[in-house]
Amino acid sequence: MSPVIGVVAPRILAPAVMLAAGLIVKGYSDTGEGFSAGVIVALAIGLRYITLGRRRADRTLAVARHANVVAAAGLLIALGFGFQGVLSGAPPFTHLPPPGSPVIGIGTLELTTAVGFDVGLFLLVAGSLTVLIRYLTELLPDPADDPGDER
Amino acid sequence: MNLVFALAAAILFGIGAYLVLQRDLVRLVLGVAVISQSAVLTLLAASLRLGAAPIYPLPEGTLSDPLSQAMALTAIVIGMAVTALLLVLVFRVAVAFRSDELEEVAGEEVSLDARLEETEGEAHEREEAAAR
Amino acid sequence: MTALSIALLIPWAAGVALLAVDGRRAWVPWISVGALAATLITLGAVAAQVLASGPVTMTTGNWPVGVGITLRADALGVTFALLSVAMLTAAVVHEAFDGVAEREFPALVLLLAAGLEGAFLTGDIFNFYVFFELALAASYVLALHGPGPRVLGAGLVFTAVNVVGTFVFLLSVAGVYRVTATLDMARIGERMAVADPNAAILIAVGFFVAFSVKLGLFPFHFWLPTVYTAARPAVAAILSGSVANIGAYGLLRFGAGLLPRELELAAGALIVLGGASILYGGVLAISRRSAGEMLAYSAIGQVGYVLVAIGIGGPVGFAAAIAYAIVNAANKTMLFLTTSQRGVVVGGLFALGALSIAGIPPAAGFVGKLEVFRAVVGDPVVAGVLLLGSLLSLVYAFEVYQVEHWRPAADATAVRVSWRAWVVPVALGGVILALGVWPEPLLALSDAAARVLPGANP
Repeated sequence: MSPVIGVVAPRILAPAVMLAAGLIVKGYSDTGEGFSAGVIVALAIGLRYITLGRRRADRTLAVARHANVVAAAGLLIALGFGFQGVLSGAPPFTHLPPPGSPVIGIGTLELTTAVGFDVGLFLLVAGSLTVLIRYLTELLPDPADDPGDER
Repeated sequence: MNLVFALAAAILFGIGAYLVLQRDLVRLVLGVAVISQSAVLTLLAASLRLGAAPIYPLPEGTLSDPLSQAMALTAIVIGMAVTALLLVLVFRVAVAFRSDELEEVAGEEVSLDARLEETEGEAHEREEAAAR
Repeated sequence: MTALSIALLIPWAAGVALLAVDGRRAWVPWISVGALAATLITLGAVAAQVLASGPVTMTTGNWPVGVGITLRADALGVTFALLSVAMLTAAVVHEAFDGVAEREFPALVLLLAAGLEGAFLTGDIFNFYVFFELALAASYVLALHGPGPRVLGAGLVFTAVNVVGTFVFLLSVAGVYRVTATLDMARIGERMAVADPNAAILIAVGFFVAFSVKLGLFPFHFWLPTVYTAARPAVAAILSGSVANIGAYGLLRFGAGLLPRELELAAGALIVLGGASILYGGVLAISRRSAGEMLAYSAIGQVGYVLVAIGIGGPVGFAAAIAYAIVNAANKTMLFLTTSQRGVVVGGLFALGALSIAGIPPAAGFVGKLEVFRAVVGDPVVAGVLLLGSLLSLVYAFEVYQVEHWRPAADATAVRVSWRAWVVPVALGGVILALGVWPEPLLALSDAAARVLPGANP
């Protein structure tokens, strides 16, 4: 493994999460949305699993062990935001607040149901791809530069 | 332009179909992935207009057809999910049969079936003996 | 309108939530049963509204009509949705009594129900594709539920074949959009009528291949026997009783609904393929000795009747196809649930199912066969093939009955099955018997469903 990857892999996750957050937020006036954000985070997690091996990656990233729960929660969040209109008799995927009415904003972040839906989608994609990564790295031998980890 | 798209999609589909028909199971997954790209390309080629990106605030001039882009994005997502599923399946098959060659898997299956039939046949014989 | 959204939301949300818990615990499948029952009730409400006052349409996101995705429940869609969810419920109740063997089974069945329902109740062909994939993804994983490593190979074949099939479907969707500039089923029908015939035929062939693969029709059947025999009985029941419906529905909706001109053009080919399916399935089923294998080949033969009825077309033909699909789903679900069981009750049920497959009164299969024969009455050759197919099914069904139920079972434990193992098949048998004795509701429903299709109103 090249030393560059060894240095980059453990440190890339935080910037990836920042980038993902940016993609979700700016998805409403520019390119970006929850799916690509999720893929980016999952790629960073994947790099970490490949370089560190599954056991060490699991230890340094405890949340990855519950990726299936994250994915299910994300899907439930997305469904909740998608079907909230049903409560008031509107069809699914109705925006709240409706187009044209004032939106509560925190800085440039505008709180609409679409943002909530995308956050759910992001969790779903990142979670399910992490499940896949962990599944496929299960039988991968741990990297050789990891002697302290035996037993 | 249409011809280029059509040719590219056809070539992708051909490559994918060739790979799917190989014995190697990893190639099967790759073939499915390539076929999915062929479908995505066809969806994009089916768009009715080509032009600037249709993102608000709308630029001047002709805009691309947003619907076929939305369809292509959805197809990419679904293609990814299906490829992931197939990959896991191949992984499990490879672990269970200790081989990623379809023929060996089939051979393993045949021997399993033969063993099953053997035991079944013995059971039948015992039954018939008991009936007599 | 709200009922339609709720009917979609219940199985979807419940399925996702159940993924988090271990389905082998005794109470989990009952939650799944409860959610499916709630879905059935909501669907029943939608169906009552549809049958009383015409289709229910809803555009998502309050978009103007023509921009947003439409969900549309008409008589045809609601019929197939009710049928599939009812069969799924039967299979899950059976597994809940019998003990669920796989962790994610209850959740997967709910997700499968959500996908099937969405596909049957949408008015947008791309949305149909998305729900189609959701249902198929759930069925790919379900197909892995079976004993031994053999099921893995079968599941791989099933997944690979169907994935390629759905991409062929997607290519046709792209073609439709290019030709008609819309994805809305109602408008596609109008615009297809004036489209370039060559393009339309190409698109129609794509749809036909995609749905025939799903249905397991004769030249596309090669995956079916391996998969149906390797999976658990309940999974085989789900695959043949619920998932296969999507093929029949697709042929009706996309053939008779969107491309009636092309369907008429291909009528001869459909009848020939259907006849080939009937004979092939029948002859190969005769050579099988175990109930599971016989049923797998019989499934190939039975869908041939649906295809012949669709090929005949017209109000009588489409109604016959729908009635046959309903009866066949009930037959197959009941018979697959009874495989690998023995005893007096199961023997009786098997005999009833065999009568139903062969089309002998008082079983419901008689009604289905009678409808198909009514459709082909003017054509002695086709009627002869259908009759031959019925004779073959009588032979193979009772041959297996003889082998499986007249001989003492190979191991004695199989004989003493508790009431839990046959309560669901008995209920299904009751339905089959009731539909055979009093077929009016079935015929009225399939008539109403067929009248939705433009090909049925010349």
